[in-house]
Order: sequence, then C-alpha cells, then structure tokens
Amino acid sequence: MIESLRRWSIENELVYLFLRSPGALLAALVALLCVGGAVLSPWIAANDPYDIASLDILDSLIPPSWSDGGDARFLIGTDDQGRDLLAAILYGTRLSLLVGFLAITFASVLGVTVGLMAGYFGGRFDAIVMRIADVQLSLPAILTALLIDGIARGVLPQGQHDNLMIMVLTVAIGLSLWVNFARTVRATTFVERNKEYVQSCEIMGMHPFRIMFVHILPNTMGPILVILTVDLAVAVLLEATLSFLGVGVPANQPSLGTLIRIGTEYMFSGEWWIVIFPSAMLILMVISINLLGDFLRDALNPRIR
Amino acid sequence: MKLTLRAMLFISMGTALTLSHGITSAETFKWAGTSDPQTMDPHANNSAPVLGFLNNVYEGLVRRNKAMKIEPALAESWEQLGADGWRFNLRTDVTFHDGSAFTADDVLFSYERASSEESDVRSWFSPVESVVVVDEHTIDFLTIAPNPLFPDSIANFMIMDKDWATANEAMRPSSEAENFATRNANGTGAFTLASRDPGVKTTLKPYEGWWDTLESNITEAVYTPIGESATGMAALLSGEIDFISPIPLQDVPRMKQRAGFKVHEGVEARVLMFGFAHQIDELKFSDDVSGKNPFQDVRVRQAAYQAVNVDALIDKVMRGNAQPAAQLVSDAMKGYSEANAERLAYDPEAAKQLMKDAGYADGFSFGLQCPNDRYINDESICKAAASMFAKVGLNAKLTAMPVRNYWPELREDNFDMYLLGWSPGTFDAEHPIRFLASTPNEEKKLGSWNFGGYSNARIDELLPMIQTELDDDKRQAMIDETTKLMQQDVAYIPMYVQPLIWASKDNIELTQRTDNFFILRWVTIQ
Amino acid sequence: MLSFIIRRLLQSLFVMLAVSLIAFSLFRFVGDPIAQMVGQETSIEDQENIRERLGLNDPMPTQYARFVGNLAKGEFGFSYRTRQPVNELILSRLPATLELGAVSLFISLIVGIPAGIYTALKRGFLSNALLVTTLVGISIPTFVIGIFLIYTFGVALGWLPTFGRGETVQLGWWQTNFLTLSGWKALILPGITLGVYQLTLTMRLVRAEMQEVLKTDYIKFATARGINYRSLYLHHAFRNTLVPVITIIGLQLGGIIAFSIVTESVFQWPGMGLLFLDSIRYVDIPVMSVYLVLIALIFVMINLIVDLAYFAIDPRVRHRGGDD
Repeated sequence: MIESLRRWSIENELVYLFLRSPGALLAALVALLCVGGAVLSPWIAANDPYDIASLDILDSLIPPSWSDGGDARFLIGTDDQGRDLLAAILYGTRLSLLVGFLAITFASVLGVTVGLMAGYFGGRFDAIVMRIADVQLSLPAILTALLIDGIARGVLPQGQHDNLMIMVLTVAIGLSLWVNFARTVRATTFVERNKEYVQSCEIMGMHPFRIMFVHILPNTMGPILVILTVDLAVAVLLEATLSFLGVGVPANQPSLGTLIRIGTEYMFSGEWWIVIFPSAMLILMVISINLLGDFLRDALNPRIR
Repeated sequence: MKLTLRAMLFISMGTALTLSHGITSAETFKWAGTSDPQTMDPHANNSAPVLGFLNNVYEGLVRRNKAMKIEPALAESWEQLGADGWRFNLRTDVTFHDGSAFTADDVLFSYERASSEESDVRSWFSPVESVVVVDEHTIDFLTIAPNPLFPDSIANFMIMDKDWATANEAMRPSSEAENFATRNANGTGAFTLASRDPGVKTTLKPYEGWWDTLESNITEAVYTPIGESATGMAALLSGEIDFISPIPLQDVPRMKQRAGFKVHEGVEARVLMFGFAHQIDELKFSDDVSGKNPFQDVRVRQAAYQAVNVDALIDKVMRGNAQPAAQLVSDAMKGYSEANAERLAYDPEAAKQLMKDAGYADGFSFGLQCPNDRYINDESICKAAASMFAKVGLNAKLTAMPVRNYWPELREDNFDMYLLGWSPGTFDAEHPIRFLASTPNEEKKLGSWNFGGYSNARIDELLPMIQTELDDDKRQAMIDETTKLMQQDVAYIPMYVQPLIWASKDNIELTQRTDNFFILRWVTIQ
Repeated sequence: MLSFIIRRLLQSLFVMLAVSLIAFSLFRFVGDPIAQMVGQETSIEDQENIRERLGLNDPMPTQYARFVGNLAKGEFGFSYRTRQPVNELILSRLPATLELGAVSLFISLIVGIPAGIYTALKRGFLSNALLVTTLVGISIPTFVIGIFLIYTFGVALGWLPTFGRGETVQLGWWQTNFLTLSGWKALILPGITLGVYQLTLTMRLVRAEMQEVLKTDYIKFATARGINYRSLYLHHAFRNTLVPVITIIGLQLGGIIAFSIVTESVFQWPGMGLLFLDSIRYVDIPVMSVYLVLIALIFVMINLIVDLAYFAIDPRVRHRGGDD
C-alpha cells in the first residue's frame, strides 16, 4: 500500500517535471510526430514505395518541387529508382522505428530477466551469465549482426531470407544491447536483495520469481526506463550503420539507413536531397529520443545508481 | 610555369616541415582504384585488377596496343608452324629489373610456372601440348589442335626471370603461404616495383634499362586502394590524388563542369545481361507457379526481353553512359556479329501478348538474383528492371547480395533469373560461346559459367569448329550462326555494354583501353 | 587474492574460446573464399583442389580444433587474399588503429572533461548549448559525420587530407603518424569522427559524477568552511570523480578499437578495422578469425584489469570475490 503510494507520487512528480520542461515537451512532440508519421505512412504517403510496379525509372532523381525541374507530384523529390522521397522517408522511418522498438523490447526482456536472476541468485549462475555478457561485449554489434545474418542465410529456406531479414536484424541488434539491461538490473538487484523487504518476502516463503518480478523489478524501473530510451536511439543508429555497411534490411524496402547510404553516393553529383532529407529525419528522430532520455535521467536522478 | 610553381610550393613546404617527407618530385603520379591487386605474382590470380596492375611491371611475349591490337613485346615476331603451333622470335636486348638477361629459358620456365597446378592462369595453356626451346632467342609453342588465336590469348602471360625465381624459392605461384614473388617483382616492364604495402600503398618507378622508349614522364607512381567511392571522389577533388578509376556515373556531369578536372569516358568490353534458369523443371522462388518452369517457353523469355526498356536503363541508371547490346560481345571485339546487331524492340504490349499466348495472362512470380558490388550500378539496374518486368506480369522477387555470396548462390542453382556481366578475356566472340553458351560439361571445361544450363546442340557442334578454323570468313560465318541461334532462343537478355568512367586532374594525359587496364607508360603529366 | 586472479584468468580463457568458436562458425556463412581467390576462367575442378588443400572440406569441428591448436602454437595462418602471415598483416595494421584510437580518446578527454565540469557547475546558455551540441553528436551516425567532415574540411575548404595516414615514419615495426605534420593533419578528421561519440559520453559522465560529488556532505562542509571555489571544485570534487571516469575510459578504449571499423572505412584509414572489412569482402577467413580473437583479447584484458583494480581498491569486492 505504502509502496504503491510512493510510486504513484514519483510518477506524478515525473509528469509535473515533464510539463515544466520545454525541451522535453518539444522532444516528445517531435518524437510523436515521427512515430505518428511512421505508423500512418500507408495513409499519408502518396504512393507505396515498396510496390515496384508503380515505380517509373523515368521519374528518378527529380529535385524537390520548389527547385528547377521539380515536379508537383513529388514534394521533396525522388530517389534513384523514381520513388517519391517523402513516401520513402515515411516508410523508412516506420521500418527503422519498427526494428528499433522490436530490438529494444527483445533486449530489455532478455536483459532484465537475466539481470534479475543473476543478481538474485548470484553464485555460479551469475558468474556464467556475466561471462556470456563478456563474450557478447567482445563481439561488436556489427559482427553480431553479420553472424546472425549469416546463420539466417544458411538456415532459412531459400527465398524466405528477405522476408525474415527484419526479424533477423531485430535479433542481431537486440542481442548486442541486452547486456546493458542485464548489468544495470543485476547491480540494482544486488543492492535490493539484501534489503529488509526482500528478506521478509523470503521468510514468508514467497516464490523467488514473484519476489523478483513483483517486488524488486519496480525498484529498477528508473534505470531501465533511461536505458530503454537511450538504447532505442542506439538501435536506430545501429540499424542505419548496418544498412550503411550493406548488411541491413532488404534493398527493396529501404530503411532510413539504406536511404542515407544510397544518398551518400550522390554527394558530389548535385542531387543533395537524396542524402539531406533522410539524414535530417534520422537526426531529428534520434535527437528527440535522446532528449527524452536525458529528461528521464535528470528527473529520476536521485533514484539512479 | 605550372611546374615551377608546384616545385616552389614543394620546396617551401619541405623547409617548413623538417620532419616531413623528403623531396617529392613534381612528376609523382598518385592514383587510386577501388581494390588492391591481391598479389604481385603474375601467375597466381587471373583477375583484371592483378593482371592490369602487373602489366606495368611484367611483360608478355606479345602485348596489346592502345587499340587492343596485338603487337610485339618480348617477342619481336612470331609465325605459325603450319597446324602444329607457333614460333616466337625473342628480342635480344631485354634485361630484367635486376639486370639479368632475358632468354628463351625464362619463357620456358614461365610457361612451366604458369601452367602448373598452383597457377590460376593455367586455362590459357590448355591448348598447348609442349613448349620447345629452339635456341637462346627462339621458342616454339606446340598446340594440340590448330589454334589461330593463340598469340591473342597469351597477351597477359607474363614472363618471370628463372634465376630470380629459383634463387628466391618462388618456382611456383604461392598456394597457401606467400612466397617471395607475392610482394616482390622482377619483370622486364617499363616500371619497377619500388615498395609494396598490401592494401595500403604500392609504389612504382620507371625502369632505366627498359628496351622500349617510355612515353610517360612519371618519375614515381603511387597507388592507393580507396574502397568508398565518396572518399575517392573527395580525394580527387581535394587534389590529394591525380587520378581515380572508376568514378560513380552520377558524378560525371559535375566533374565535367568542374575546372581543373576531366573525365575519361570509354567503353569496356563487358556486356551486362540477364540469364534464365533453362534447365530446372520448376521455378524455385515462385509463389504461384508450381510443377513447371515458364522460362522454358521461349515466348516467356521473349516477353521478358521486350519488357525491359534498355534505353531508359541506359539513360537513367547509367546516365547515358552505355551502349545497347544485342549479343554477348561488344562491337570492339573480334568476331562481333554485324549481321545480328539489332536488339528486339522494347514493347510491353507485345510482351503482355506473348505472356498471354504462353498461358500466363495473369503473370507469375519468380526469383531474380543480383549482385550489389560487382558491376556499375548493378543493384539499381536490377531494381529498375524488376519494376519493368512487373508491368507485364513478371513479378520479380529481387535479392541483391555481395558478390562473395553471389557466385556460390548461382553455382548452387538458387535463382530463376540472374544478372551477369561478361568480359571476354581473349577479346574474341568465341570466349562467351565457350563459357556461356555451351552445354555445361565439367570434363571438357565447357559452359562453366552457363549457370542456367542453356543448351543448343548446334552451338555445341559449332564451337570446336570455330576454335580451329583458320579462315577468318568461314569462322565469322559460324559465329554469326551461333549468335543468331542464341537470339532466336532468347538464351540471354543482353542489355548494354558497360562504360569505363575515369577521372583525373586536367594536367593528366592518358589512354583508356577497353580491358580496363590502367597502363602507366601512356600517362603523362603536363 | 591469488585464487580470485586464477579464477578470473580461467574465466577469461573461457570467454576467448567462446569468441573464437563463434568467430569461426560465422565464416562458413560469410561467403565462399575460393570464388574470391581465383579468376573467372579457373575450372571448377581446380577450385575444388584449392578447397581441399585449404582444408575447407573438413568437418567444422576438425577445422575449429586445427584453428585453436595453431593459435596455441602461435601459428596464425596465412591470409587467403594476400597470402601474408596473418600475424604480420595484423601487426602492420595495429599501429594505425591504436594511434587513431589514442587521438580520438585524447580529443574526447580534452574536450569532454572540461565541458563536463563546466556543465555540472554552471547553468545557463553556454551550458545548455554544450549539452545540446553533444546530443546532436551522438544522434548522427558516424558515417554521416565522417562524410560531412570530409566534404567540408577536405573538399570545400581544402584544409585537411580526406583519406589515408599521410606520411608515416617507421620506428622498428611500428609505423607512426606522430612524427610528421602530414601525419598529424591526417589524424584530425578521423580522430574527431571517432571521438565525437566518446566525447559526449565522457562529458555526460563527468557531469553526472560531479553533480553527485557536489551533493556530498564533505563538499557542503568545505563550502561552509569558506574554501576557495576553484580549489574546491578542481581539487576536491573533481578528484573524487576520477576513479569512475578512468574506469569508463578504460572500457571505452576497447570500444574505440572495435568500433573504428566504420571510421576507418570512410577515411580509408589503413588500420585493423579496414583490414577486417576487406577480409569480409574477400572472405579471408584466417584474417577475420584472428582479428575477432584479438578484439576479444583486448576486451577481456581491459575487463580483467578493471576487475583487478576494483579488487585492490574496494574491500567489498574482495570479500565477494572470496566466496563466490
């Protein structure tokens, strides 16, 4: 009872602080717009950039509508395949966010569970889990993604690879991010498990998993929330980087990263819009997510560490 | 004037940075390409980057001139020994870079080395029965069957010094560990290998004792591989390098306008085409067709052909920098079939009708495999073609992959349709017939790149006749017949000849050859 | 103490073995090395001979056992692409990566620490501007920063080189950038590109630690005693933030080395990251394996040193170390 009251007041405080912080409000608005645009892209976008039959190569590389040679049909121009760049960006954002959200969901569920168990049980289990975490940290995310992609290529049936590539990418990015969650939660759990309320739960004969998830987990929520936002940004950037290195999403369903990669090929040829707009979108989105993360960190500061 | 200014600049820089690099000559030529030659051993890797680079250091008995015609190099002259083979009369005034004399023994040794099991160029010598040294400056290559094109086929067979290779234990090309010849070279060519840091920097210097007169005024040439095309362009624009090949097509118009730079445009020998899975009985990647392979129907293949708007591809994706192709070789190649120069017209309506006639009025889906780092704009070409196919009901499911995965996929027959570019190593129309049109036969080493298993008995019959025919007109008639058959069968969809697009500072004069070799001895700095 | 160290060493060994196994199983999927080693006219039969000779037809466990066995004997094999001994190849590229890493670490510290202290102590426009700018820094993908810097400072302004290491000086087997002007110039852009992310992290960490320390009782007490602010912040407060900061820096160093792949690729910086990307392109299995194992070794060493340092400093860890 007291516990839930305390939590409620914290949440309230959070709302209070949030409403008073213009930066956080702005960031939330931008993030909301990005997410909204992404989710609603099939209804907003003029055409479906993934439908190759609707593309016409003769429409390729048209500059934004306000400049010379622009075309009213394509507000911010077209890419090298004749895709409406605005539609491509909206769809790309959707894909990037989808991969990002799925990846951190995967990472947080895995990391939190493992972290709780490692911190609670300690001993051998803890040692093994933390060594696995070391292995994971020793393999840069790019390599993890290559590995997962490679295995998927070998194991999945022919022709299915592209369809499942998004799942593969999710798992790859998720696997490289779970360690953050696990380490943080484990550290907090170490501290919490020696506190009186946990000990009294144990004496009452409560099941360890109930103690972990019902009683300890809420006390680790602050740091988890911060990592969630920060890692969402990291996941989106990672996806972009992987696509830049050419191991990302399939070519006919470009994410923001893929669009930027294609755009960089037009850096010196004068077709600046292909790289500028997707980059701007990515940066805007990541900054707003990071700003929200910052706000959360500051707001929850006394409870972190 | 320009030169003195540059020299002054260098001198002032030199005094400013005492610790910095020493004296750099004004004729230092810095150039870059996308990949580093894997080895300095002329017999260890049969690939264009290696052979092209080493053409500056090593030489063959014959060489190709600026127009790709064969001219004397280490051999002053050669003559046919009836049907038995060829006699080469060697130059007497040639020395290797280390000063030792060049003799027929070196040629025999190089033949043994290049045709050994460890060699990657041994396929050039499959028509050779034996090699006989007649005297110190005469050598005979005896062939199994009459071989009119033999001298053409060994333009890249480079001669290595026997004593040098023996003394440094590089008698055979390296197969696992490197040997001395992997990072060192001792040829007879116009340039010597001054230093080699694989993947980072390779320096060449003119060879004072070269037998021929050097056109170039370069005193030092530094090669750097730059993998990212944007980085390479930046390096050229900022003046850090003098030359780069290739540059992205989209940068051509701007480069042409920029003061201080120029673009060198040419045509490569490579023809880009789509290939079909002819042999399999069921499409591998289709969602809606099972138990049969529509591509076995010539009408469907022709529909695919006529669905592709090659002019639009060339105009948009290749930015106008390519020639349409109707056959598997370009018109610069020997044996090009003038009689079959017309492409089938782009006609989506006719394509739809053909699809309907073949019983696929509603279309069908299939897998299209494509590399994404092999040919110029390869992935874009496939994407654009896929959307053209889709308009006539050929719903391509495109998979683009790096070439390291691409060849294994094709070898395992994991495709319904695929993209291929082919550059005939011998610059002759016989080459693609042997590799792409013959029924695959591992024993006879025929059709080894005919992934789809296209087969036409008449072509199989014609190939050996083409290979041994000494009369040019009769030979051409047979090549014409073969080309005609392939067009009737729509064996492939030839699309265009790939362009060569290089860029340099505007004080560089050079010659572009259709084999995409960069020949330093034709480069001058003004 | 000794048993703790031994146990940690054994665990490290396990980590290394696991990484090498993962690294090894990865390669069968990267592509076919043979196709990259030969020209287009090489017959299938000849390709099969090469495959046999390289032992690529052996079962996976056999190949792995041979790989680990050779590593233990100090034999690292030969690159498929250049045929050079792998250890030689990697050693020749190591200095480039380490020097780039050192410079970017230096940049991140020399800017990050003062900025962190400043933003912790002062609020106001500059402080907010710093926070927002660095936020932008971690929100832009590294490759975009790199290309942007090249375009601005290399092409448009022409101040700095756009690729490579410039002139280097050979000190034994170590090729250094630090002894020539052109070497220093070549380091600037890639150093910044690689350092931006670390800079932001460092700044934020220092800021958070400072804020934490400033709230502690003894600082409040010192303030009350009237100690001069400069000495208070720099000597007392900052010193207390150093331990965690140094720890994180150590961990970052490993990250810098591993994640220099993208920067090296954009700037054509001939370090280990570029070597690794090239070896993926050519399916150069021996180089890839050894690189991964080396990266793992660096991580494991840093982790080990951090753990041992904690062990020496913090009695609680020592206790836990004893009974777990």
